[in-house]
Order: sequence, then C-alpha cells, then structure tokens
Amino acid sequence: MMTPVQTLPTIPDESGSRGINKSYWRSSGELIGDPVFIEQLHREFPEAASELTDPVSRRTFLGLMGASMALAALTGCRRPLETIVPYVKAPEDIVLGRPERYATAMQIAGDTLGLLVTTREGRPVKIDGNALHPSSGGGSSIWAQAAILDLYDPDRSRHIKERGQTRDRSEFVEFLRRLRSEYLARQGEGLAVLSEAYDAPTMARLQSEFRQVFPRARWIVREAVGSASLQSALEVSSGMPCRVRYDYGAADVTLALDADIFGTEPGAVSAARGFARRRNPDSEQKMNRLYVAESNFTLTGANADHRFRIRSSEIAKFTLALAKELNATGGLGLDGMINGLPEGDMTASGRVWLKALAGDLLACRGRSILVAGRHQPASVQALVIALNEALGNRGATVIYSPLPESARIDHSGEQHLASDIAAGSVTGLILLGGNPVYDGGAGVDWKALLNKVPQSLRLGYWEDETSAACRWHLPQAHTLEAWGDAFDASGAPSLAQPQIEPMFGGWSGIELIGFLLTGSEARGYELVRETWRGFLPGVDYESQWRKTLHDGAPAGGGQVLSSVLNVSALTGFIASHWPKTASGIEAVFRPSPALFDGRFANNGWLQELPDPMTKLTWDNAALVSPKSAVQWSLKTGDVVRLELSDAFVEAPVLVLPGHSDDSVTLPLGYGREFGRIAAGVGFNVYRLKPASTSEEGDVAGGLKVVPTGRRSSLATTQEHWSMEGRPIVREASLGEYRENPDFAHDMVPRGAEPSLWKEWQYDQGYQWGMAIDLNSCTGCNVCTIACQSENNIPIVGREQVKRSREMHWIRLDRYFTGPVEDPQSVAQPVGCQHCEMAPCEQVCPVAATNHDAEGLNVMTYNRCVGTRYCSNNCPYKARRFNFFNYTNKLDSLVQMVQNPDVTVRSRGVMEKCTYCIQRINRAKHEAKLEGDRPLRDGDVLPACAEACPAGAIVFGNILDPNSRVSQLKRDARNYELLADINTRPRTSYLARVRNPNPALG
Amino acid sequence: MAQIFPKWVDRIPSLAGLVVFAAVCGVVGFFWYFGSPWWTDVGYRPRQPVPFSHKLHAGDLGMDCRYCHSQVEQSVHANIPAIATCMNCHSQVLKESPKLLPIREAAASGKPVQWVRVHELPDYAYFDHSAHLRAGVSCFSCHGNIPQEEVVTLRKPLSMSWCLDCHRNPDPHLRPVSEITNLNWEPPADFDRFVREWKQVKRINPPTNCSACHR
Repeated sequence: MMTPVQTLPTIPDESGSRGINKSYWRSSGELIGDPVFIEQLHREFPEAASELTDPVSRRTFLGLMGASMALAALTGCRRPLETIVPYVKAPEDIVLGRPERYATAMQIAGDTLGLLVTTREGRPVKIDGNALHPSSGGGSSIWAQAAILDLYDPDRSRHIKERGQTRDRSEFVEFLRRLRSEYLARQGEGLAVLSEAYDAPTMARLQSEFRQVFPRARWIVREAVGSASLQSALEVSSGMPCRVRYDYGAADVTLALDADIFGTEPGAVSAARGFARRRNPDSEQKMNRLYVAESNFTLTGANADHRFRIRSSEIAKFTLALAKELNATGGLGLDGMINGLPEGDMTASGRVWLKALAGDLLACRGRSILVAGRHQPASVQALVIALNEALGNRGATVIYSPLPESARIDHSGEQHLASDIAAGSVTGLILLGGNPVYDGGAGVDWKALLNKVPQSLRLGYWEDETSAACRWHLPQAHTLEAWGDAFDASGAPSLAQPQIEPMFGGWSGIELIGFLLTGSEARGYELVRETWRGFLPGVDYESQWRKTLHDGAPAGGGQVLSSVLNVSALTGFIASHWPKTASGIEAVFRPSPALFDGRFANNGWLQELPDPMTKLTWDNAALVSPKSAVQWSLKTGDVVRLELSDAFVEAPVLVLPGHSDDSVTLPLGYGREFGRIAAGVGFNVYRLKPASTSEEGDVAGGLKVVPTGRRSSLATTQEHWSMEGRPIVREASLGEYRENPDFAHDMVPRGAEPSLWKEWQYDQGYQWGMAIDLNSCTGCNVCTIACQSENNIPIVGREQVKRSREMHWIRLDRYFTGPVEDPQSVAQPVGCQHCEMAPCEQVCPVAATNHDAEGLNVMTYNRCVGTRYCSNNCPYKARRFNFFNYTNKLDSLVQMVQNPDVTVRSRGVMEKCTYCIQRINRAKHEAKLEGDRPLRDGDVLPACAEACPAGAIVFGNILDPNSRVSQLKRDARNYELLADINTRPRTSYLARVRNPNPALG
Repeated sequence: MAQIFPKWVDRIPSLAGLVVFAAVCGVVGFFWYFGSPWWTDVGYRPRQPVPFSHKLHAGDLGMDCRYCHSQVEQSVHANIPAIATCMNCHSQVLKESPKLLPIREAAASGKPVQWVRVHELPDYAYFDHSAHLRAGVSCFSCHGNIPQEEVVTLRKPLSMSWCLDCHRNPDPHLRPVSEITNLNWEPPADFDRFVREWKQVKRINPPTNCSACHR
C-alpha cells in the first residue's frame, strides 16, 4: 500500500476560515492519493468485509447452519435445565453480584504498579490502578490491564513435569529435598539460580539468606529487556546498585534520548500522569516542554514539542554535543569528563536544535529531566547521570534509591554461567521465570546448555521454549494467585495479595526459594509477613498489616540515596566505555510496545492491539524510514533478509514516516514457538540480537538488508476508518492559542441548525457526556484494552483484522502532519460519540439502537438483526459488527474473564461503546443502597476514564454545571467531531496545544 | 357453447380467500397463544433435588423470606441460601430425615446442592432485586404466592411485555417497604393517597428505556 514518497503533495485543505491550517494524513498512501487507498476509503468496510471466507467458507457455513437449525428444532422442545449452585458456607463479605475490589501490586520487568483487582464472587475479572499508590495514581498500563487474560490462559502450565512426564507434587517435593541436601553438603558448589529481576523485599531477603545457606552457589539475575546499562552507570557513580524515579510533574523541560518514556520505559504510567499534569495551557504553572531525540518514531516522539530524528547509535554523539554546549554556556564544570571524548559532526539544524535545547535546560535548572532509553550504552547513561547532577536535577526531578541485589541485572554473570555450564561445572540450575532459550540472543545456545545441566528446574508460567530444555518444569503461580511484595520506583515496599487460590497448584518464586532454604514447604503468606515485620515496626503489627493490605499504598515514603554521586568515577567510566559510532546500517533492538520482551506473546488482547505508531497487529516488522526504503527499493510488506554477523532472520518491512535513515528498528517479543496464540506470529528478533552486556546497549551496526522478492501482507488498522481530510484533530502552538483561544471553533464555523428529526428534550435527570483532552492523551492505547476487558470485546484474529473487522470499541486514530520524512504525529481516541441526533438511529429498521432518557445512544443486542445500516450511516465509523460468533468456542477457562455485567454478543449483532452503561447502573444501585442519594460527580467512571494514566478522559453529568465534564465542555478548546453535520455528539474533544520553543520557530 | 365450469365454481375464490384468512388467523392465533410465555413458561414446576416446601417454612412456620434470601435487599440477586443456613435448624430438627440427606451430605462434603432454577431471565436482561424491593414492590408481584407453594412454580410469564406493564403503571404493585414480604397485606383504604405520596418520596419513575434492563 505504501509507495515510496519523495516529495510532499498536499491535500486540499477544507478546514477553511482562520484556524490553524495543517494538513493531516494517516499514511503515505493517503498523502499521495494512492488509488487503492482511495478505493478503500469509499467503502464502508474494506474489501470482502461482508463476504464469509476464511476460516469458514460460505458453503461449509451454510451446511453447518442447516444442521444446527435441524438440531435446534429437535432440542428446542425441551427447556434447558439451569441450576443454581449456592455456597455451602457463605463467605462473610461477598454479596452476590457486587464486585469486590482488592489492592495488590504487580511488577512487570522490575516496574511496579499498585493495582486494584475487581473480583466477582471470588473470581478476578478486571485490573485497574490504585489511586492510593503513587506508581499508578489510579491509572494503569496495557500490560496491567491485559494480565487478567493471562490468568485465564488455557495454555498456562498445569502440571509438574519431569522430562515431559507429569509428576505428582509429592514426587517433586521429594526431588527438591534431595537437591537441597545434596547441595547443602557441598555448600552449594555447582548450584546456580538464574532469576528474573525481583525488585522485591521478600525475594531480596531470601536471596541474602540463600547466599548464607549455599555460600558457593551463584545467583544471577537476567532480563532480556532491562535497565542493565543504567544500573551499571549508577553503580559506578554511587558505588551501589540503584534505581531511578523521574518526577515528570515537577519538570519544566524533559529531554528523552531514544527513551519511550510513555511506552516501554519503566514508570510509563506515572510519567504520563506527571506529564499531563503540567500540560494544561491555562494553568498558572508553566506548561512543560518535551524534547525527544530518537531513531524510531515512538509514542513519546509523537507527544514531543520538538522531535529530533537521529540514529540510535548517534545518541552518544548527540548527548556529548549537548553536554559540550551546556558546559560551554552554563559552566557546568564538566570539562574533565567531556573534553577528551571524540567529537562527532552535527548538522546545522542539529546545532540550532541543540542550542535552543541547551538554553531551555539551563533556564530550568533543577526543574528538568534528561533520560536515556534503556537500550543505550552505559556510557551514555553515565553522561546523562552527570548532566542531571550538574543541572541540579538530582533530588528534585531525578531521584535515586538503592536497589536490592535480586533486581540487579548481571549480564556478565550470565555469560560466565553459560561458559561454566559448557565446561560442565554447573550440576544444578534453578530458573526462576525468564526464558533464555527464546530470548538469550544470538551466539548463546541456551537450549544445548540447559540440556547439559543434569539437574535443571524451571519455574515457568507456560511450558515454553525453556521448559522443553529443562529436566523439571514447575508451574508458576500468576501474580494474582500468590503472596508477594515489590519495591516501587521510589523504593517504598508494597504488598501483593492473591485474589484467587492457585488454579493449577502453581508455586511462586519466593515459595520455591523458601523451600530450598528450609527444606519444608514455605507458604508465601508467612514469608512475606516475616519480611514485613521490618517495614511495619509499630507495636500493633496486625492492624498495620491489615491497613497496608487494605489500602495497597506503599509502606513509608520510599528511600532516597544519601551518598553523593561520584562524578570522577563516572569520568573514568565514560572515557573507557565511550562507544564508537556504528558503521553502516544500524539495528536497534527494542521491546515491542504490545508484547514487551515476549512475555505477553500468548495474550490475544495485546496481539490484536494496534501498535501506537504503525497500527500493526498480530505481527512485528522491521521499521525503516521512507528515504531508506526508497534507497533499498523496498515497500511496506516486502520481506527482507536481515543479516548481522553470522545470524539472520527474514522479516517484512514496514515504512514508518519519521523514522531515522540507515536505521532499522526491530521489535522484540514475537516469533514464539509455543502457545495457541503466540506460536508463529511475527519473527524472532532475538535470533539476530547479540547477547546483552551490562555496558553496551542493544544497538548494533553493520546490518545487511537483503530483499528476498517475497511479500507478506501485514494486518494494520492504519488505513481503515478514514475521516476524509476534515479537521478532526485540532491543534495549535501555545503562542497561537494565546493569540486566539477560540482557534478550535474557528476551524469550522457552525450556527444553530434545526433538525429534520424530532428533537428530544434532554433537560432532566442525568445527561451523560464525555470530554477527552487531546493535550493530555499520549495515545498509549490503555483505554482500548481497558474497554476490551470491561466490555467482553472479542479477539478476532489476524485474518479478520486484515478485513477490518477488529472489534475495539475505542480506536486510536493516529494522524501525521508535515513532511513525510520528519512529520509530527497526534493521536485521538474515538469511540461512539453518543450523538443527540444520531444518524444510526434513523436507519435501524428494528429500532435496536435508540436513545434513552439520559442521552445515551443505546444498542439493544437482542433486537439487532444485523442489517449494518447503522454502521453505514455512522459518520464516525464507531460501530463494530460481529461477523462471526467469536465467543462460543472459547475455552471454559477463558470464559472466566468475561464481565458478568455485560452481555456477551453473538454473531450478526452490531455493538459499540455504551459509555459503560453497566457502570452507570452500578453507581445508581450503590447510590440507592446509600439511602437513595443522588449520584455525585465522579461516581460513574467508565473503564477508559478509569484506566487513563493521564486523566485525559472525563465523564459525567453535563446538566450539572459544576461537574468536571461540564467545566471542560465550557473550555475554549472544546470542540465536537464533525459538528457541522449537526449530530450533536455527547463526546467532545479539547484541542491540542503544543509548546514549541520560540527559539526554534 | 356449453359452460365448462358449473356455477358454484364462481364461489371458489372467495371461499379460498376465506380459508386462507382462517388459516392465517389460526396460525397467528396458535403461536400467539401457544407461543406466549403465558403458555410455555407459566406453570413450570421442576423437581428439585430436595423437596423443600415453601408452604411449610414460609407459610405454616411463618419464616420471613429474608431469613434465607438474606441478600435480596442489597444484591441484584435473591440469593439461594448456603447449606449452612439450612443446617442452622436442621442440625437440630429432622436430623435423620431421608429427604434432607442431600443437604447433610453437602454440609459434610462441601459439595453444594444444585437447585433447579425456576425464575429465569434471558442472559441479556439484567434485573435488580434490591431496586424493586426498595421501591416497595413485593416478592408476590413477580413470584406469586410462594408461601402457599408446596413446590415452587413459575406463576408469571417474566416476558418483556409483562415487565413493561408494571414499568408503565407501577401503582397497583407498590406497598410500604416494611410490608414487602407480608403475604396477608391488604391495601389500606387510602391506598391511592399512599401511592401518590410514596412515588414522590421515592422518586419512583420506572424507566422504559432499553438500557434500563439491557446492556
């Protein structure tokens, strides 16, 4: 679809009037008027969307229909017997049908989120952020939201296995006892633990005890995607392992150096929240400014006020040039550190950019943040630490805290372990999670290595690539099934409590280590309680414990590193480790924005979640710039052979506007070899990736890109649901906004228009409405996943997405503006707009969609006959049709994730956003129970609004002049989508205001 | 030329029309009557695993509905009591009764008794018990005179039009909240005044939107 573009043609601008004239395009197909795209544009659903093809052909389908109707006629005479199964002994607190919420914490690759888990009659169904926990502040991430689906993954490991044979728990316990006594006698000689990063107090305690009990054993922490380089740099400067927390709410200026701070970097949820807090152009506080220098066009780049396109391997050069500029103009006293380093050349525009950036940073000392992506080398991280120190940011916006050993990633230890296994000196190996066979990187054959270890034990959630190579496999308990704890980014400990008994007898990491230490079964609960005696030192431990457990807030205010950073040690480290600029084409290995390092590969929600920038689903692709694509004669979908040293993979190419030239971004996490969802999706980049080290980054030079001549069709949602060049997203710079606050209205003049249809009166009771602040919205996709989780939205699969049959009620439209080589980008969440004069309602022949008294455009599934007229008539293309029955074949385990308050839709039924009507009804129910009180503002929180970390979505009663949504709707930036066609949507948007540096024009 | 068809043939079209009309009426009428929940559903009286008698417990012994259905005022569901609730009495009363064997077994083994559901709504309809009770709609309005039932029988069609009948005109079904489980309650002489005032106090305005029950 994407044709190489060299010049920028323009789309006729229909916005008219004196608004801000920018032409937005959503892919280069649209930009150049590709006939295929134009054809697609004029269809309601893309090609063949209404034809029944794969996976069931029309003929077999009709055959099946006939048979099932005959069966239905036979069985229809009998009433199906439905039973009611009451409790034997009713639990004290459970009221049937009332959701209960419990606090817990979850750590994903060392990043902790405080959460509230909704359970129904003891069954967890939804995960949200805990407002009392500073890590989330009530918001959540796509991974936290989707973790609930992993809990009910039918592929999850259910049995203890030895060489593939199912074993009893007692046999396993016997083995563990033998293992323990054997290594006790040898003080742990030959024993090694290869662990995931556990930034957690109890695991930290058990690890230090393990070192005492088995003094000669090794404990090595590995993560495929972790902050090893940052940890190394911090350890050099402070002498101990550290973690870092950035306070974006306190920062006036932020510079992200190849760091996707709103996406895949740790702390993305609190980053989005802090950043949004300072994004209000009307606030008395100064509006913040974000500079991004990056190779890939990430979510963070899309939110930047200034984005500088630069190859990942040149970030070092860029940072150095910045340091020199800062040092020269600001007198930072860093001469000793930077003068000896090789200076790179910068383009003229780069120099102007740097100068403006340096000026901003120096003007905001102590109120700025510099952050480098975790795939950047340790020397760059060290320089960034030094710059943050010199600018006075440490302690103000950049806070370091001591990190336990159990979270300190040790890549060199991992390599030593690999060579020792090869030499045969490791006889016992315990793998706590992790998946080295899959993500160990090129050059280390972990499969062969693990086969050499006589006694290997893998604690794993799935029986995946690594389990197959180990002797013993032990099912791991899900985070929602086990007791645990975690340090958050500030170093404060939080409790994690189980929401359900382990369904398949899973063990947690601490229980396994606890067993090895004591030789008897250790219960997670007791292990955690013992650790926490240190954190809750008061007299009444029990009541403090209960309160901490109930609130889910961290105990204490976190730790702050007291020792001063050692700048001279950093100087030496930087000098000795400074990277050479990669020659040729660079390969940048970055975690997938959906699957992360591959741990979420078997999660259908995340597989189907469109990538925030490429809108690609069910696949990864080698991302290249339009210019490089022309140079290498490639188009989107061309399969290339990527060669790096001796390794190679074949991958489809995706041309991403705004990507750096001569650079290829390779998203990790795909190409798994297990699982009914994960297997065979995408290509495995780890086969190409050099094994990680603690000092070098995950960027490699000398990549060869060889076209194969084959094509692959990618399932993108990018060019679907077009809005035909009208001013859908409205945007201005801060200066333009100050000059004309009404710019959003001026883009489309609109007067009062009478309607042909009967006008409804909406002047009583509650009248629901929503306002979405595009200024806060980062486009992170969490609303889409939260909605999917709340509203039982099915997964449709790659083939259906290609036909544009994805079912997400909220889609994030991503528009580009500016030159194709270096555009800006904006995201806009669009669901049903709940028009007061809804075009869909006028055309439904069976009145299945109509208005209720509170202004909701409601969809009555049991009435819908599936004509799809409504979808055809919807100007926002917000309606979704069930082309198949996507839910009737679901495994009974997956069915447990369904929200019992929402109807599960069948084939032939239209559906769309309901403003979470079940939550509205729930709030009314609760208010009635509380003495028939009226609803208060904030009582009703749709799933998207609750999940949004930036608080961009506000919902409430628009008749109440004091409700937050009413206030926002009175804002000058408030506008409605396609208001000129008189649909009167209840959802409105607040126009986006960027804050560019005047020095950069 | 002699006539081919006799004279009575002229009446065939009108007769045929009459027959078709009667047949259509018959078919429509047949399904109208026999397809309606009044015919298909009302009177449903499945056999339960334990022959529990509401007549004995709620009628003769006078136990309040809410002794067993304890959460009905807080919950959308009227809960079926836990086995432990049965055992509150039956660990003392009728300890050896063979009819209660499944209850005792359940209490001992922890495996619950599976009761057969009598009042069943479609999965896409969401009913809230507590909201109706708080508005002063009695159990009897939907479940019939349960305290007189030896075996629970479906007495109302639970169809959408039947729901809407009451949502359009709730007045005859309202009573003071204190009387919702009282079988013998008789509307007082000033019932009309009570309804008027009660509807104002409780802001009773039953919704008839689709979204009231369907989501």
